[in-house]
Amino acid sequence: MLAVDDLDAGYGDLQVLDGVDLDVDSGEYVAIVGPNGAGKSTVMKTVFGLADHMSGEIQFDGEGISGLRPDQIITRGLNYVPQSGNVFAGLSVRENLEMGAYILDEVPEDRLTDVYDRFPILRERADQRAGSLSGGQQQMLAMGRALMLDPELLLLDEPSAGLAPELVEETLDRIDRINDAGTAVLIVEQNAKEALRRCDRGYVLVDGQNRYEDTGETLLADRQVREEFLGG
Amino acid sequence: MAVRDNPGRVLSSLRVNLLPALLAVLGLVLLLDLGRRLVIGGLTLSALVRFLWTGLVRGMAIGLAGIGLSLTYSILGFANFAHGDYITVGAFAGWVTTFVVAGVGSVGLDLLVLVSSDASAGELGINVLSTPVAIAAGLVVAAGITALVTVALDRVVFRPMRDANGIALLIASVGVALALRYTLLILFSGSVRTLTTDVPTTAVGVGSGEVVFRAHDVTVVVLAGLLMLGTHLLLQYTKLGTAMRAMADNKELALVTGIPTERVVRTTWILGGALTGAAGFLIALQLGGMSTTLGWDRLLLVFAAVILGGVGSIYGAIVGGLIIGITIRLSLVWLPNELSIASAFVVLVFMLLVRPNGLLGGVETV
Repeated sequence: MLAVDDLDAGYGDLQVLDGVDLDVDSGEYVAIVGPNGAGKSTVMKTVFGLADHMSGEIQFDGEGISGLRPDQIITRGLNYVPQSGNVFAGLSVRENLEMGAYILDEVPEDRLTDVYDRFPILRERADQRAGSLSGGQQQMLAMGRALMLDPELLLLDEPSAGLAPELVEETLDRIDRINDAGTAVLIVEQNAKEALRRCDRGYVLVDGQNRYEDTGETLLADRQVREEFLGG
Repeated sequence: MAVRDNPGRVLSSLRVNLLPALLAVLGLVLLLDLGRRLVIGGLTLSALVRFLWTGLVRGMAIGLAGIGLSLTYSILGFANFAHGDYITVGAFAGWVTTFVVAGVGSVGLDLLVLVSSDASAGELGINVLSTPVAIAAGLVVAAGITALVTVALDRVVFRPMRDANGIALLIASVGVALALRYTLLILFSGSVRTLTTDVPTTAVGVGSGEVVFRAHDVTVVVLAGLLMLGTHLLLQYTKLGTAMRAMADNKELALVTGIPTERVVRTTWILGGALTGAAGFLIALQLGGMSTTLGWDRLLLVFAAVILGGVGSIYGAIVGGLIIGITIRLSLVWLPNELSIASAFVVLVFMLLVRPNGLLGGVETV
């Protein structure tokens, strides 16, 4: 579904990604792990047109999407939750969700209901300012916003960053359920072990290049991967 | 070991604790003095009401003019120094229309189009009661033309600089300001022209005296109030308004959410331009005259209102405008006329010492 082929990308003159290959199939759960500065987030930003695409192919459902604007990309069934600043703090919870469906003429009530059913706390707090929510609730709102168009593939950039340890597990459980419901997930995660334990396949990215690629289980079991990236 | 006070901390604790207390005491003293003057007769109740009313009139005009400035600041992140001249553009576009509608047939069209001082305003007899259609047409055209001009200038000047920093944009806006002002000067010459005549008034008895309400002052307050209310409803209850608030809140997220940001920017200029043009027309209506420096002369006050209220908040611009307007007039109780505008800036300085982000800054976006 998403096919990234020999991707070079970065910011201005700074090249971060050097020939990255990556695939996500329909309904799959794929994790990107690796040390800080490996370019994990840059992969997502490039797919979404926020980093500078230098060369290589990015295809979604068989069509090239590099050079498209984000409002064009999301209509194709791709959505993205940035790592930080991922809610409109001054808007109400409901308004945040409505903005997620901005490109539609009308707010899709069935989608809104679906998101509220997934995250009941958002229904309770519908009229509160998003900025007044806790970190975990803001993360739910950010995911809810990205689910408003019922995407085929959801890109999640470090969804557990900055959350209290007890909320990390909960947030990752929620992502499992999103995936169980049929949405493919591509996740960048700092808790590499957790992410690899839950995903179908994983990529280990180092210095902007693919280092390892395999099923999550295999990567977790691999001695070299464990020693180099998972702290033994 | 001796603990030395950090001078920065002492200053900031002064700012946080002592200054507000001092200002509160000062405010109380002024209020008590106001009461004393009312009781002993140094100040009549009607004079006080007059100061407050004229302050409200000025404040509404400044506040309306400030909304556009605040909107473009919050969405595009730069202080637009051309804003004063957008006000002037609105005033001239509107008053050309009003002159033509009111005077066509009786005075030569060339004189009318130039809102020329040769076309005696007395002959046209423009005021809101005798020529309401001409005034209404002027207001609509003022808003429309100014919106068009701001969008066109955005396309030519500001859009190619979208990723430039705020300082570069600010300097570009100074260039736009000068270009606009001198274009108007070439077209219309620099003389101050009279716009209205025989403005109806109503006197209302207050206490032992009376307060005179000019029809045009009332018009300004009512129309500015309606436009403010309309802007509030648009921003809070429409999809486009919500998108504008979203973009003011977080531009990058607005982009990935799929909000068409360029379209929102254009709408912001249209809305801000229309309100600014209307403000220019209403300011000239209230003054009864104008020249090509109408907006530039008031830009500092508009900036003061916007900064006082909290840059980027339209409610801040309105509240700031009212505080500035009322301060200017109410200061006449204690100060000579020459110092009245200075008093508004003193209030601004103290307010910023206590709340560096402005009154509503950080509370509510857009």
